[in-house]
Amino acid sequence: MGDAFAADRIQFAFTIMFHYLFPIGTMGLAPFIAWYTVQAIRTKDPRYDHAARFWAKIFAINFVIGVVTGIPMEFQFGTNWALFSARTGAVIGQPLAMEGIYAFFLESIFLGIFLYGRGIVSPRLHAASAVIVWAGAWISGFFITATNAWMQHPVGYSVGPDLRVRLESLPALLLSPFAWWQFLHVMTGAVVTGGFLMAGVGAYYLLARRQTEYGAMFVRGGVVVAFVFSAIAVFPTGDRNSADVTKYQPAKLAAMEGLFKSAYGAPLAIIGMPDTVNQTLIDPIFVPKVLSFLAYGNFHANVKGLAEYPADERPPVAVTYYAYHIMVGLGTIFLGLGALGVLLLWLKRLERSRWLLWLLMLAIPFPYIANEAGWVTSEVGRQPWIVYGLIRTVQGTSTNVAAGETIFTILGFVGMYFLLGLLFMLLVLREIGIGPAESTA
Amino acid sequence: MIVLAFVVLSAMLGVYVLLDGYDLGVGVIHLFVARGDAERDAVVESIGPFWNGNEVWLIAAGGTLFALFPQVYASAFSGFYLPFMLVLWLLMFRGIAFELRGHFPSDLWRGFFDVTFAIASGLLILLFGVALGNILRGVPLNPAHYFEGSFGFLLNPYAVGVGALAVLALAQHGAAWIALRVEGPPAERAVGAIRILLPLVFILGIALSIATFFVHSPLPNLRAFPWIALAPLGSILGLIGILLYLVQGRIRQIFHASMLFLAGMLASAAATLYPYLLPGFPSPQTGLSAYTNPPSHIALATTLTVVIVGLIIVAIYRAFVVRKLTARVNPTC
Repeated sequence: MGDAFAADRIQFAFTIMFHYLFPIGTMGLAPFIAWYTVQAIRTKDPRYDHAARFWAKIFAINFVIGVVTGIPMEFQFGTNWALFSARTGAVIGQPLAMEGIYAFFLESIFLGIFLYGRGIVSPRLHAASAVIVWAGAWISGFFITATNAWMQHPVGYSVGPDLRVRLESLPALLLSPFAWWQFLHVMTGAVVTGGFLMAGVGAYYLLARRQTEYGAMFVRGGVVVAFVFSAIAVFPTGDRNSADVTKYQPAKLAAMEGLFKSAYGAPLAIIGMPDTVNQTLIDPIFVPKVLSFLAYGNFHANVKGLAEYPADERPPVAVTYYAYHIMVGLGTIFLGLGALGVLLLWLKRLERSRWLLWLLMLAIPFPYIANEAGWVTSEVGRQPWIVYGLIRTVQGTSTNVAAGETIFTILGFVGMYFLLGLLFMLLVLREIGIGPAESTA
Repeated sequence: MIVLAFVVLSAMLGVYVLLDGYDLGVGVIHLFVARGDAERDAVVESIGPFWNGNEVWLIAAGGTLFALFPQVYASAFSGFYLPFMLVLWLLMFRGIAFELRGHFPSDLWRGFFDVTFAIASGLLILLFGVALGNILRGVPLNPAHYFEGSFGFLLNPYAVGVGALAVLALAQHGAAWIALRVEGPPAERAVGAIRILLPLVFILGIALSIATFFVHSPLPNLRAFPWIALAPLGSILGLIGILLYLVQGRIRQIFHASMLFLAGMLASAAATLYPYLLPGFPSPQTGLSAYTNPPSHIALATTLTVVIVGLIIVAIYRAFVVRKLTARVNPTC
């Protein structure tokens, strides 16, 4: 039982973290592609058209790998988390079914037009499909985030005598402020990634002194968007998410901040290593009283530490703490890097500042890490609950699937995903090598 | 309302088979009817804009099953863990093979992915067919509704026969699609393939229909709702249609007759199965029916509204998109 439970969790964590790398790319690039496609029609400038085609190719590779690695997620609810599915399906099945019907159809059917319909359908319909693909990608993001938000903060349900969760109100689930702030924060994270990806690829062209007019176009657009959305990631979306966690998941907040003991005027730990044995932070740097202020808007408020909660209701501290601090630390760096880029753009020195172009190019992987770290904070911090306060994770796994079966499939996924990762890198680097100017054929 | 839920769910799976069926069928048959790069590209391109949208029907039907009958979803997926994982991996290989074949200008690269695409498509159809056969026959479930049996139990002659029929019928469906949407030699060879497949589908279809009376008799449902006899009638009409159009040389119409045949077969299967979703073995009563853990009134009303309204919207824009992309693909240009 214990082994099977561990195997189910490892498999889900591994497959979801690998999968999520690709939706970040599609949700983050879709708005840029829609923008370039629409600009190409409005200005009749062929460079916008080339830019749109170039990014559409990268988008398409992301999309395919996102689709094929996404199917295992829907499958795993049934295969490895059968008791969770049987108990909560009446509720979480709703947004999942809606994701298929209201988002995947839209995205896949109009992506068909966008990729295959050039020259067959009118330019207006072609541009409209780029915008619809963007909408589809984000609607899909909404439904899956709403599903997760229900597991974080369940609403609109009742529990029957057989312990099965019953749906009481779909609108309550879909209009939950918790879900909307989480969704906006997740989309913001994707756009930040898209912005830095644009800027980083553009920086590469400028540094390599090839296709520089496209390089300049991507760096300029990317830097501005990355800066604006890095700011939105902090405020209001990040701030509102923290407020929801403070209100509904205080044990998660304590783990995120590494706060072991309750304190009035609790300090904010900027760095420090949690020592779970001695229940303290090692070598911390504190900003006095700021945690109380951020959590409750009052420098003297009492913030509950982990010690206040029974041992079996505390999330794993180290992972939650580090993931949260990595996300926040990287987010701060993105804001600084974006601000620097925008400043140099304003001074008209962006394209000649090779040191900044180097930084932008090397920054490409880090927004991915920040997005993943954010989800790790959210999901590991939710433990030991699979549905917060209602069902424990250990009560959710399939009792009829042996650890050995899951270990076998984990090995299969690891092998296949290693191959997929290589293929993805090979194909994307090849498209970047060809570049937008020559990708018109 | 539960009846409506059963019908909606069956219809979604049916539409999945009709639509993804042709691109799965193209996967099986494309190595045989398309020779050389230009022909192969034309055949593959004819399903390019559609296959992904077609596959969404499976995802959407899965989500709807999850919302309406979570216990069935949980029992089936966890009970048949390894077969489901196999289906999953084949779906993944197939998508990757299809989308990546064109990304690298190399014969070896494309050849590798074309063969992967064909094998994955064929095995998927076989597995789906074997699954349908086993659902009709029933599977041993324990009182908590979880599968109690071995892998070998699933490979019984009836289920394997349904799997074989599925491969033949969808290969025929894919060939009919190629005849409809591709010009030149591939279309001619596809018609040749239908000439070979049609008699096989006919013989195996009759044999399995007779076998079904012994495995899971449709007679009780037929007595209760005599109008369901229209379903097998439709499939027979479809088969006759394929034959007539073949003789008359109206090759483009074959696809529509093939749709009717498949729809009739699937509707017959659903009508036989009702009200069971996962019948038990040897007695279906030990299994899960639509009434075993029925969805609450609110869940039922919500899901049906959301699904039906959504599908109407999808049907409208899909029809619009398909009309915009109906040009036949010519291998010479």
